[in-house]
Amino acid sequence: MGLEILVCIKQVPHPDHFSEIQVDVGRGRVIGAGIPVIMNPLDRHALEEALRNKERFSGRITVIRMGRPRLQKAVEEALAMGADRAVLLYDTAFAGPDTLATAFTLFHAIQRLGKFDLIYCGNETVDSGTAQVGPQLAELLDIPQVSSVQEVSFVDEKSLEVRRAWEHGHMKVRLKLPTLLSVTRDINTPRLPTVQGIMGVPQKEVIIWNAEAIQAPLENVGLNGSSIYATGVHEFRAGRRREIMQGSTGEKVRRAVARLKELGAI
Amino acid sequence: MDFNLSREHEMLRDMVKEFANSELAPRALELDNKGEFFWEQVKRSGQLGLIGVINSKDYGGTAMGHLARMILIEEISRVYPPLGFLHQTGNLLMYAIETFGNDRQKEKYLPALCKGEKVSAFALTEASGGSDPANMQTEAALEPDGYVVNGRKSWITGVDPADVVGFVAKTGDKFGAFVVEKGTPGFEVTRREETIGLRSLPVNEFALTNCRLPKENLMGEEGRGLVCALTTIATIGRTGAAGVALGIARGCYEIALKFAKERLLYGKPIATLQAIQFMLTDMNVEIEAAKWLCYSTAWQLDQGKTSRDLAVDIARCKLYAVDVANRCAYKAVDIMGAYGLSPEYRVIGLLRDALELGVAAGSQEVMKVTIGATITR
Repeated sequence: MGLEILVCIKQVPHPDHFSEIQVDVGRGRVIGAGIPVIMNPLDRHALEEALRNKERFSGRITVIRMGRPRLQKAVEEALAMGADRAVLLYDTAFAGPDTLATAFTLFHAIQRLGKFDLIYCGNETVDSGTAQVGPQLAELLDIPQVSSVQEVSFVDEKSLEVRRAWEHGHMKVRLKLPTLLSVTRDINTPRLPTVQGIMGVPQKEVIIWNAEAIQAPLENVGLNGSSIYATGVHEFRAGRRREIMQGSTGEKVRRAVARLKELGAI
Repeated sequence: MDFNLSREHEMLRDMVKEFANSELAPRALELDNKGEFFWEQVKRSGQLGLIGVINSKDYGGTAMGHLARMILIEEISRVYPPLGFLHQTGNLLMYAIETFGNDRQKEKYLPALCKGEKVSAFALTEASGGSDPANMQTEAALEPDGYVVNGRKSWITGVDPADVVGFVAKTGDKFGAFVVEKGTPGFEVTRREETIGLRSLPVNEFALTNCRLPKENLMGEEGRGLVCALTTIATIGRTGAAGVALGIARGCYEIALKFAKERLLYGKPIATLQAIQFMLTDMNVEIEAAKWLCYSTAWQLDQGKTSRDLAVDIARCKLYAVDVANRCAYKAVDIMGAYGLSPEYRVIGLLRDALELGVAAGSQEVMKVTIGATITR
């Protein structure tokens, strides 16, 4: 039979281009137009773990993403890496969601997809970094979940032992499938797509569903389903400055510490 | 008219860029200093499917085409030109076998070459040079059980690590193209040349001394040897050298631009100085022009045009891209001052690599002869 694995992915601005993102304080908007996009880096680790599971137990990997159908870079990359098919969730009703509304949208899509064994998510995204969507989705699906996952070992085809990172150590958790795991960057090194993988992308299935297709109540999704929304944005500029302290080593240290205190840095 | 790359080409570029940045860039200086052949990187190229893009799927390739090859050579050479150049020289025999070879040669050699498990070289040049191949001295005498080959080939890239080498020899008053495997009695790598650039890619001389080859080692028909060699060198060699040059030019530009934005003089980045801006502008414009010469030529090859149809286009892109690579490398060294001369900052290494390209796959003057003879016809 093999494993039915779902991987939730998000398309995010390329971190190398974060400095190009503009903030329109007057309108309360962040402007990312024209910034190159990539699959959220931790989602690549999530997909890589799914690919390794599939290589061991066989099965099917479906990636799920919310976003505009014409901007499919993350989906194409996932398919080129080896995912079997993609589900793209797009509807104007989905726009402006907080994490809960996002989790609801994914929940309805997953219900439409039917049976699954494992859901992988990246622990957080590089653009919003809440680390909430995975746990919220698991709660809605009423399945066990572990976040900050560093290692996944199959005890057998129906149960797992995972290692979860803590600030000063780790804990091992045993749990049964179906389950949801949010992974960290320590879990693996994601593979690069191959030329063969890239050439195979146009032959793979991309399903596009709107709110009606996944029977999502409009009060649960997008801005309507959000309990948090941005009331404004503020811009902070960080810069570097150099000052050279003169004197003996001791004097230089004392002066540097005094100066840092004066600047409020320590 | 649509100048956009396909999504597959864009994905390929993203993938190769990540491969180059994450796996080649951290090792480039060390590999250059060691001067040893880079098997690990070749095998990795094979795993990623980068080596067989011009070969058919029947023999382990991906048939992604010449534009894909141009893009991947450019992206690799931006960071580590010797591997980019191996995609030039290594693809020569792979193209020759696919285009002129027999089924046995295709089945025997191409799958392992596409995977990067084996590498190949291709030899036309002799001690007297490569610009007048009709005067070669290497001879293959036909005997009842095959050919007996005697001669010597010089300045051939990558023979030392090669498992199989293609070469051209006189067969009486005609020419034949052959393949010879490493370990064949009478085939011996006799010299490694000292080269200023592309130092981890050996340039060799080899000798064929009463080297007996079965008739099945002939590529195509006897009498078509020069056609095989010249078609292959134009289609694969010159376009490949242009791709390496384009990559070197971009590498130099990107390093120099970053440096100019960070290096302070009188409290301001040197990028604010007009003298520096002029150099960066020249680089920027010339790279863009070279890119479109290269891409349009590769694209036309993908549309089914031949090296005969595109003789001028191919010569133009090789001539111009190589000149641009050298000019950009010099300018990058200028912009970076003393840092430009430090191997750690890479541009001096890229300049040395760029110098090698002038003579690769036909000298710059041969390119001018090709273009000049055609436009004044």
